[in-house]
Amino acid sequence: MILQAENLTKAFGGLAALKEVSFGIEEGEILGLIGPNGAGKTTLFNVISGFFRPDQGRVVFAGETVSHLKAPRLCRSGLARTFQVVKPFGNLTVLQNVMVGGFLRTADPGLARERALEVMDLVGLSGRRDTPAKSLTISDRKRLEVARALATRPRLLLLDEVMAGLNPAELVQMLEILKRIRGQGVTLLVIEHIMAAIMTISERILVLHHGEKIAEGAPREVAGDKRVINAYLGEEYLLA
Amino acid sequence: MGVILAQVAVSGILLGGVYALISIGLTLIFGVLRVINFAHGEFLMIAMYASFWLFQLWGVGPYGSMPVVVALLFVVGVTVQFLVIRPILKASASMQIAATVGLSTLLQNLALVTMTANYRSVNTPLSKAVVSAGPLLLGVSRLLAFLVALTITGLLFLFLQRTYLGKAIRCTAQDRTAALLMGINIDRVYLVTFAIGSALVGVAGALLMPLYPVFPTVGAYFVLVAFVVVVLGGLGNLTGALLGGFIIGLVEAFSGFYVPELKEAVYFVVFIIVLLIRPTGLFGVVGAEEVGLK
Amino acid sequence: MSVPTRSEGSMFSAFRFIPRRSLYVLAGVAVMATVVAFTVKDKFYLHLLIMMLFYAAVSSAWNIVGGFAGQLSLGHAAFFGIGAYTSTLLFIDLGISPWVGMLIGAALATFVSGAIGYPSFRLRGPFFTLVTIAFAEVLRILTLYAHDFTKGSIGISVPFRPALQNFIFRQLSAYVFVALAFLVIMVLVNLWIENSRLGYYLAALREDEDAAQALGIDTARYKLVAVLVSAFFTALAGTFYAQYISYIEPFATFSLDFSVLLAMMAIIGGVGTVWGPVAGAFLVTPLQEVLQAKLGGELQGLHLVVYGTVLIVVVILLPQGIVPSLAGWGKRALGQREAMPAPSLKGGS
Repeated sequence: MILQAENLTKAFGGLAALKEVSFGIEEGEILGLIGPNGAGKTTLFNVISGFFRPDQGRVVFAGETVSHLKAPRLCRSGLARTFQVVKPFGNLTVLQNVMVGGFLRTADPGLARERALEVMDLVGLSGRRDTPAKSLTISDRKRLEVARALATRPRLLLLDEVMAGLNPAELVQMLEILKRIRGQGVTLLVIEHIMAAIMTISERILVLHHGEKIAEGAPREVAGDKRVINAYLGEEYLLA
Repeated sequence: MGVILAQVAVSGILLGGVYALISIGLTLIFGVLRVINFAHGEFLMIAMYASFWLFQLWGVGPYGSMPVVVALLFVVGVTVQFLVIRPILKASASMQIAATVGLSTLLQNLALVTMTANYRSVNTPLSKAVVSAGPLLLGVSRLLAFLVALTITGLLFLFLQRTYLGKAIRCTAQDRTAALLMGINIDRVYLVTFAIGSALVGVAGALLMPLYPVFPTVGAYFVLVAFVVVVLGGLGNLTGALLGGFIIGLVEAFSGFYVPELKEAVYFVVFIIVLLIRPTGLFGVVGAEEVGLK
Repeated sequence: MSVPTRSEGSMFSAFRFIPRRSLYVLAGVAVMATVVAFTVKDKFYLHLLIMMLFYAAVSSAWNIVGGFAGQLSLGHAAFFGIGAYTSTLLFIDLGISPWVGMLIGAALATFVSGAIGYPSFRLRGPFFTLVTIAFAEVLRILTLYAHDFTKGSIGISVPFRPALQNFIFRQLSAYVFVALAFLVIMVLVNLWIENSRLGYYLAALREDEDAAQALGIDTARYKLVAVLVSAFFTALAGTFYAQYISYIEPFATFSLDFSVLLAMMAIIGGVGTVWGPVAGAFLVTPLQEVLQAKLGGELQGLHLVVYGTVLIVVVILLPQGIVPSLAGWGKRALGQREAMPAPSLKGGS
């Protein structure tokens, strides 16, 4: 188990965003995280990645309890994440953006650059090397977001809706990229709303609803689970 | 000794009223436009010079010429808002600071070039007049400054609570986007707010003229006090600015009494401590200083 | 320097990434300054050159915090003053050579900058600026207050005892070389920073602090590094000032006006770029010196009226500053694309 979440609880004021959520992620797998809007998925990411502290419960990453560590320290340990609303460094070029990620493992700009070029190749951004990030299309911004996080050589990568806003062709490309990343030995935890996409790519799926885990298992099982269907009834969901 | 201390305290509170008035303008502008006007002190300087010259050239006392000075500052506010503030509203906080600092430098030195560095004072019969309340002596000018400051503040509060424009201003301060969606003309709100904030400083300037001399850098001194007050009271919080004004007035009065040479250092130290421990001030909203300025 | 292997690598290899063009420009400036120092005899012009080099260097030091780290400090006079007073007092009271005193002053300023800087980084935007202003003002007032020690508002005169170890020279041209050396060092430091991890991390945290943290950047630590480096060099400049002008007093060394001037030069020239502060200083200083010399007491402050106006105009029309704007127009005219677009303080959060 590369990551273990135990009884994670987080409330904001009176609103309980997470209620005793427990699950584990096996090294090398792709775990999908789904749930209706407001289920607490991004909050879970924020707790795991060190942006929020859990009120209760703990997170164990690669054998180390990390619940109270902050994001930069977690990233150094190998836990990286992307943001739902992408946050490119607008005034820097694509290459420079990714180099920022690459610098985590080396102080040498030459090596950081090499790593950045490697990663950009993997996600297909090599052609946009010197483009200022603020000029990128949404699809390229999503790739940049992934590339940057990947440049930090994570063991576990948390991806928050990397497929939102992509057209079908771009979607297929992104799925390819995710497979390639996993092929390099990186474990993935993926939040997604696009059902067809998440069902195809994930080995297992975790379902959150109102801050609670309501189902966990293989995609087919989860898709047929009554509680999951109930949670989504009346909700719009996307079939790509 | 008790009488002396009481005297110091009263002195501090009276002056605090004027500090409050200066600071309220600053905090009002920040609360609505989310811009800190580093040239706020220079507006005070302009008001004081205007008051001085009206007296010098036409013999009108500062209290009499106050409406003119206020009107002048209102116009100055409108002009600056239009020429300098509006174009930089979308810029980063640092750029906004740079622009208003540039304005401050410009105005300060314009005064220096046109009016020289000489200290100018207004001396009317009222300047030296003193009134007694029991064992305490109160300078009439100071007392008037205090009373007018409080009255104007009260009027401002009424304006903000009761009139449509006042409510529009408060809405914009709370949530710019929501106000826009409600059909409020944000541009006009900004303009009026900045102008009102400047006009308030105009009142303060007229009230200060009998008490202090005017010189090109007088604004720099008072604006730093205003910053301390505004941060202490919580940026954007009018009641906070009012109370903060009195607190700083007292702090200054007492440190002026006990350690006159270190008087300014004392409230700067207070300022630093507040900023580092509770940047939102006594009454501010927690997190405001992190958001910076949305 | 040995060639880094694939698995190692060092931060100093950032020097390899400094664009050739920048080094040529630097060499050009150095050569021109040297030529002037040797050929021009007129004291006023030599003084002007020294001031230009001096302000370019100090403004560059400010830029590490104000530009690269994006934290608008208006309290740098604090570090400047600490440098000036430390070395001067050590020289006059204890006979310690100002070269040594300079390093001691810089160390002191660095320490102080860390102590006040670290807790201040939580503050964003104007709050941070205000705390820097307050801090420098407190130092100014304390210096005035401790007049038994610092001579207060009377100031301290540095006695004229020309000797290399006293950091006092008969020839003005000697000061030109010292100022030039200082500027060259500052520019090289800035060029190195820009191309190193520190520079990339500062740019990242300037653009989006959350994203930076998600990439493993301890933002507080890097802002601290920026402040320490900046304070160190600003204090060195303070000593140079004391030795050159031969007279220091609290208002000149600790004043808000001085801090504002440093920021102004960098912003006008192009904050966050290496050449911006240099260009800003080279443009602004001559105006100041000429107006002060020719018009003296008469129209004192006129140059500041101009600066203030220029600053406002630059912020509104050319927010990136003059150097990046010119570079942009030049690029478009030549149809090229530049490798690293100048970072700016505009937009972002």
